[in-house]
Amino acid sequence: MKKQNRHLALATALTIALASVASVAQQPLDRTKIPTPGPNPVLRVPTWTKTQLPNGALLIVSEKHNLPLVSFNITFVGGSNPFEAAGKRGVAAMTASMLTEGTTTRTGDQLSDALQLLGTNVLAGIGGEEGSVGFVSTTKNFDATLAILADMMLNSTFPAEALERLRARTLVNLTQAKDQPAVVGGQVFSKVLYGDAHPYGQRTTEASVKAITRDDVVAFQKAYFQPGRAIITVVGDVTTLKAKASVQKGLAAWTKAGDKPAFNYPKLPELQRARIYLVDKPGAAQSIVNIGLPGPPRNTPDYFALQVLNTILGGQFQSRLNANIREQKGYSYGVSSNFGYGKGPGAFRAGGAIVSAKTDAALIEFMKELKGIVGEKPVTDEELKTAKDSLIQGLPQRFGSVAGISSAITSLVVQGLPDDYYQTYARNVSAVTKEDLARVAKRYIDLDHLAIVIVGNRAEIEAGLKATGIAPITLLDIEGNAAGGASPTSSN
Amino acid sequence: MIKRRRILPVALLLLTIALAPALAQNGSADSIKIPFETYKLPNGLTVILSVDRTVPTLAVNVWYHVGSKNETPGRTGFAHLFEHVMFTGSGNVPYGLHDKLTEGVGGSNNGTTNNDRTNYFETIPSNYLETALWLESDRMGFLLDKLDLAKLNAQRDIVKNERRQSYDNQPYGRVSEILAAAMYPKGHPYSWPVIGSMVDLTAASEEDVKAFFRLYYAPNNATLAVVGDFDPAEAKKLIEKYFGALPQGKPVQRPSVPLGKLEAGKRLVYEDRVQVPRLYIQWPTVGFKRDDDYPLSVMSSILSGSRTARLTKALVYDSQIASQVFAFQNPSEDVGVFQVTVVPRPEHSLTELEAAVDQVIQKFIAEGPTDEELQKAKSGLELSFLRGLESNLGKANQLISGSVFHGNAAQFRTDYQKTLAVTAADVKRVAAAYLGRPRIVLSVVPKGKKDQASKAAESEAISMLHENRRGGRS
Repeated sequence: MKKQNRHLALATALTIALASVASVAQQPLDRTKIPTPGPNPVLRVPTWTKTQLPNGALLIVSEKHNLPLVSFNITFVGGSNPFEAAGKRGVAAMTASMLTEGTTTRTGDQLSDALQLLGTNVLAGIGGEEGSVGFVSTTKNFDATLAILADMMLNSTFPAEALERLRARTLVNLTQAKDQPAVVGGQVFSKVLYGDAHPYGQRTTEASVKAITRDDVVAFQKAYFQPGRAIITVVGDVTTLKAKASVQKGLAAWTKAGDKPAFNYPKLPELQRARIYLVDKPGAAQSIVNIGLPGPPRNTPDYFALQVLNTILGGQFQSRLNANIREQKGYSYGVSSNFGYGKGPGAFRAGGAIVSAKTDAALIEFMKELKGIVGEKPVTDEELKTAKDSLIQGLPQRFGSVAGISSAITSLVVQGLPDDYYQTYARNVSAVTKEDLARVAKRYIDLDHLAIVIVGNRAEIEAGLKATGIAPITLLDIEGNAAGGASPTSSN
Repeated sequence: MIKRRRILPVALLLLTIALAPALAQNGSADSIKIPFETYKLPNGLTVILSVDRTVPTLAVNVWYHVGSKNETPGRTGFAHLFEHVMFTGSGNVPYGLHDKLTEGVGGSNNGTTNNDRTNYFETIPSNYLETALWLESDRMGFLLDKLDLAKLNAQRDIVKNERRQSYDNQPYGRVSEILAAAMYPKGHPYSWPVIGSMVDLTAASEEDVKAFFRLYYAPNNATLAVVGDFDPAEAKKLIEKYFGALPQGKPVQRPSVPLGKLEAGKRLVYEDRVQVPRLYIQWPTVGFKRDDDYPLSVMSSILSGSRTARLTKALVYDSQIASQVFAFQNPSEDVGVFQVTVVPRPEHSLTELEAAVDQVIQKFIAEGPTDEELQKAKSGLELSFLRGLESNLGKANQLISGSVFHGNAAQFRTDYQKTLAVTAADVKRVAAAYLGRPRIVLSVVPKGKKDQASKAAESEAISMLHENRRGGRS
C-alpha cells in the first residue's frame, strides 16, 4: 500500500510538471497522514435590532444584503396547547389553514393568484407551543406580499363551505396516518407518557375534528393572532429603517391586544415501572421502537450538558446507538435519540425502525446503550471532545440562509434566552464536564421508568420480546388504548 | 437527522421543479448568477470552484456519473449498495474517521443515488477543506485496499432495512417500482427501482464491488465541486495534491437508452395495507436533456400545486371528489414520465376520479393554458433560484448537474432562460403530444378490495413478491 502511494506521488509531480501548474518540487504525498486543519474560523453571529411596537409586538430586524431576498415571519408565543380545548383539538391547525380561504376583499382563488404572480407563498402554521405566519420573497415583492399576509391574518372570512372541505381533507389524512407505523408509534408513545389529560398526550382525532364549528374557528382567530404575543422578524435585503416603515404601514390595522400566555401544564401522570407497550401491526416488515419518558423543559439549567450527552448517545450518525444498532448489527436503517424540551416536560426518546426478526435483539442493544450512558460505560474524553467540537463548530451553519437566521434569532425570544446566547454558546458547551454528563444521564434517563412502545407484527415479535425479560408487555391498539379481547401477556 | 445515505430518485426532479414554476416577470435575470470556474485535471477529473464567503463553511461534493441504470439485471440496487460501501473506510481512512472529521467537527456528510448518478458530499467548517479533499480522494483512489466481505454484508443488511423502511413498510411505498416495471420493457435500464430487489441485494458479491469500482469510480467519470468560503488558488493546489495522481480509468460506455413508449394503455390494480385507495396515472415523456422538458415542467404547475391549478380546482375545490391531487413531470437523464396522483374523498370511486382527471386534461389539451396561467407558473422561478443560492451544497449540485449532464456548469442559466421562454403554444403542444398517448393507470386499493379499482373489471392485478420480507442477515 505504501509502495503504491509513493508511486502515485511521483506521478503527481510529473503531472504537475506537464500541466505547468505553478508549483515547486513536491514532497511525496503521505496519504496516511490526516491533514491538520487551520485554526477554527472566527464565529460571526448576525446582528439585529429589537423595537417594541406600539401595538405590543416585538420587531426584530437583521440585515443581510448578499442576495435580494427577505424573510418575514410573525411568531406567536403559545400555540394549540394553551389555546385549544381538549375536545376541540385541531382548531388551531384548521384556523391556520383557513387563512388562505378568502378575506373581506379577496376570494381564496384571488389570494392564491395574487401570491402566485408575486412568485411566493404565505405559510401559516400553529404547533403546540408557538405558531407563525410568514414568507420569503424577493426584495422587490416584499411590501406587496406583506400586504397580502396582513389581509389574510386580519380579514379572513372563514367561509363555512371551506371549513367542510378542509374537515373532509383532515379526516382522510387521519385515516391515512393510521396506516403509517411511524406515525402510530409517535402518537401512542406520547399518549403513554403523558396521558389524555396532558396536552402533550392529546392529538387531533376524528371526533375532535368533527366537533369543530365555524364559530370555534372565528373565535380562535380573534383570540390567537394578537400582537401582544407576537415577534415580527425581518431578515434579509432590507435596511432596518425600511423594514420598520414597511411593517408599520403593512400592519397598521393590527391594534394593541393580547399578551403572552402562561404555560400551566397539568401534573404529569405518575411514572410507571418500565413496561413494553406492544401495538400489533400484522404483516409489518419492521417494528417501530420508541423508548423514553417525560424530560426537562428547554429552560433547564442542564440544557448544555444534555445536548452534549445526546450528541454522544444518539444525536449523530456515529453516536453510540446508531454505531451499534445500524452500523455494527445491521438491524436498522437508522436509530437515534433526542430530548424534546419545550415549555413543558418534552420527552426523552430513543428509537428507530427495526427489522421485525431482530426486534428483541435490537431492544437488548438499546437497553445496553442506555445503561451504558447512565453509568456502565462512562463517556470517554474523546467522546466528550468530539461532541463539543461538533456542537460548537456547527453553529455557523445556522446562519447561512435568511430563514435560518430568522429562526435562530426568534427562538431566543420565544425561549427566553439571552441576546448573547450564540456568543456564549461555545463557552457554555465547553464548560460541560464528564461529571455533569454522568449526573444528567442518571437524572433524565430513568431506566426503571422507561416506556417502551413498539409497533410491529405481534405474531412474529412478541415471544422474543417476552424472552428478553426486559419488561412486562401490555398490548395496546393503534389509538393507544388497551387492546380489547387480547389475551393478557404480562409477565414478571 | 442521522438517516442518511439514502436514495434520492427525485433529486433532479426537485431541481427541475424548483426552476420550473416560474417567470420572473421583470425577469431581467440579473440575479441569476453563480460565479464559478471549471477545469479538468489530466486524469479526467472535472473540477468546479465557486466562492461564497457569506458563512465560514463550505461544501465539497463529488458526483460519479453512474446510477441504477448502469446496473445489470440480477444486480439491481447495486449502485446504491455500492454507495453505502463507500462509507466503510478506504486505504488510509479507517472506518468511522470520515464521520469524525465531518459531523464530529460541526459538519455533515452523506451520499445519494438515483437512476443516473451517485453523489457524495461534505459540509464543513472552512478550515477543513484539505481534510475533505483527503477523504474524498482516498475513497476515489483506494477504496478496494480495505474492502472485505464483512463490510459488504453489513451494508447489505442496512440497505435491506432501508428498503423495508422506505418501501415495504410504507403505505403506497411500492408504487414507484410497480410503475417503472410497467412503463419500460423487461431489461430496460429504468425498469427497476434504485433500491433494487431483496434477491439481487443478497446476490451482490465482493467481486461485483471491485468490478463496479474499477469501471465507474475513476477520476474521468467524476466531477468535484468546492463551494463556499475558500481561497481558489489554495484549493487548486490541494486538489492537484490529492487527486492529481489518481490514475485515469477506461472511458465509460454510455449506451443509448430508448424513451419509454407504451403501445397500448395498461390498467393495473395493487392491493396494499392501506385504508384509503389512490389512483396513479403515468404517461411516458422525455428526460431533462430534451427541450420538451421545459413546457412539461411548466404544465405541472398549471395542473396542480396551487388552489387555482386546473386539476386541483376541478377535483379538490369545485367537485370536491378528491382530497388531494398532484401532477408532475419527473425527468431523468434519458427518460421521463408525467404522473398524476389522486387521493379520493370517501364515497368517491377511483373510476369517478379517473374520468374527472381525463375531463380536465382533455379540455386542457384542447385549449392550452391562458397567459395568466403561464405567467403564474413562471413567477416563482427567480425566488426559487435565489433561495437555492443560499446553500453551498445546493449550488454545488446545480453546477455539477449542468456539467455532468449537459457538459456546461452554467446550464442553470440556460434552464432559467428556456423556462421563461416557454409559450402557451409550447405547453399546448406537449399536452397533446404526451398526455394524449397510451398511459398506465394504477389503482392502489385496500387488501381484498380489488373492486375499488378504477374500472376494476378491466384492470390486471399485480402481485409483488415480498422477497426476504422476514430475512434478517443474509
